[in-house]
Amino acid sequence: MSDTAVAPSKEKTSFRGNGGVRGWFGRQPTWVRAIVTVVALVLAILLPYAGDVPLIGPQIVTQGIDWPSSLFNMSYYVLLALGLNVVVGYAGLLDLGYVGFFAIGAYGTALLTSRDSLLYAHSGWSWLAAAPVALAITMAAGLILGWPTLRLRGDYLAIVTLGFAEIIRIVATSTPNFLRGDRGFTNIPHPPGQGSDGKPIFGVTDATPYFWLGLGVIVVVILGVRNLDRSRVGRSWLAIREDEEAAEIMGVRTTRFKLWAFAIGAFIGGLGGVLFAGEQGFINSQTFVLQFSILVLAGVVMGGSGNMAGAILGGALISYIPDRLRGISDPFFHTDLYEYRFAIFGVVIIVIMVLRPQGLIPSRRRAMELKDREKEVAPQ
Amino acid sequence: MLLELDNVSLAYGRIQALHGISLNVAQGEIVALIGANGAGKSTTMRAISGLRPVSEGSIRFDGQDISKLRADLRVVRGVSQSPEGRGIFPGMSVRENLEMGAYTRKNRAEISEDLERVFTLFPRMKEREKQSGGTLSGGEQQMLAVGRALMSRPKLLLLDEPSMGLAPMLIQQIFDIIVEINEQGTTVLLVEQNAQQALSRAHRAYVLETGRIVKEGTGAELLHDPAVKDAYLGVA
Repeated sequence: MSDTAVAPSKEKTSFRGNGGVRGWFGRQPTWVRAIVTVVALVLAILLPYAGDVPLIGPQIVTQGIDWPSSLFNMSYYVLLALGLNVVVGYAGLLDLGYVGFFAIGAYGTALLTSRDSLLYAHSGWSWLAAAPVALAITMAAGLILGWPTLRLRGDYLAIVTLGFAEIIRIVATSTPNFLRGDRGFTNIPHPPGQGSDGKPIFGVTDATPYFWLGLGVIVVVILGVRNLDRSRVGRSWLAIREDEEAAEIMGVRTTRFKLWAFAIGAFIGGLGGVLFAGEQGFINSQTFVLQFSILVLAGVVMGGSGNMAGAILGGALISYIPDRLRGISDPFFHTDLYEYRFAIFGVVIIVIMVLRPQGLIPSRRRAMELKDREKEVAPQ
Repeated sequence: MLLELDNVSLAYGRIQALHGISLNVAQGEIVALIGANGAGKSTTMRAISGLRPVSEGSIRFDGQDISKLRADLRVVRGVSQSPEGRGIFPGMSVRENLEMGAYTRKNRAEISEDLERVFTLFPRMKEREKQSGGTLSGGEQQMLAVGRALMSRPKLLLLDEPSMGLAPMLIQQIFDIIVEINEQGTTVLLVEQNAQQALSRAHRAYVLETGRIVKEGTGAELLHDPAVKDAYLGVA
């Protein structure tokens, strides 16, 4: 498809013209951008040792939860935010049930690997063998959700997707033998690999390797999504998001590209679920509550919908903020601040939305679209 | 005939918007569709471009029945629409909007040729090339929408209210350009509330009332038709 003419033109001057870190970054020559990217990646790899940095280190790391575990949490939240960003940010399809795909990825892994699974006699696979199958199932689920919702927009789509996630959770709670409700699946195997000392790399005591694994997956996802975004697929998503009808009369096969967005979003969400199951070794229906979807969506919007850097930051923050609050007690009632996480979180989101409604690292196009919608609501 | 609508009906849910419309457009013509708000003008356009499925009747384009064809494939066949209310992409630059118009085409040389042609027709678009669509004025957005529709190198150009919301000067200008586009070989079907302009520029026209065609004739005939004058031209 890359031979077609609608490959996005270079828009250095128009959209990266001014302002902010993003503007600065866009103006730099390629080698500066490469260096900045490499440095950022190295810093990310070194994050598990952040606590050793004098002065700032202790402020960054979490107290109530083991820091590497908190980092791993961040990594799958970032994955989810990246995936949801494809659906909501790029294609403009409001999906409130994104946790459904995370759940399918995790359940798929569990069903194929856990001793508690009905399928264990037939499968009993390793984590690595189960992962691609689980991902294929998740992608298929994305298409299954996408197909009947193609004609829906905005609020209607949101409601259906919300129902989708709830259906999965309810099926999980009410099939005691198949998806095992609260009892869940135990003994989900960890990812493979042995260190030089003969111990498995992915053990139960140290979450650092899982974080690195997550980070690796994130990098691959970023590269993949970036390529898509710059291709004809990305241009089609952009057109659909900005004006679906106009896109259609330009000759965009809107149904196909919306399905693509759902499938790719589902795939990335499923990746998060597969990683999650592999790290935890245990999942049950309590994990996949609706709040989870809302939280990830809040992360994407807060970070800057339609912009990958924004989605990454937002995804990391929604996981980091509550984890950072753990183990700190408030001065009046001496409760763990973690208990107030949603309240604190709500305040943080409101403040950000008041000060920066387009998100922390906004997409320039998105800002333009928002302005345009305002005009529609209140023409001059 | 390039385009033939035969007894086309279309409904939005239970609301019947078109009641058996028949019209045709010959190669090289400018045909206008005039009528009041809600007469079904835009709906007719949507039926032709494939945004809404017809419930009855047939649409033939270039000799083939396209009534069941997907909208994107109709673009490939040579139908291109400039939508009502402009429908430009606000976050894309003017150039990107125009490139979007050439979405179904692959020949880069031809596309840049057409881009130059649009820039010649609308010099303003050249000046605004890198500006995002949302920052343009109403008139400029209209030009962009027409220019974008031309970028698919259509056989038939559908223009939905090209003069809507424009100052009188600009209306003149946009109609001049429509005539010019037509003289360069593109067939035009346009929908207008500005009946005066539409009728004086079109070769033929149809008058639409509540989803039915009530009159047809050459532009000049209708311009002097007492009933049309009374209802649409605002002169006694």
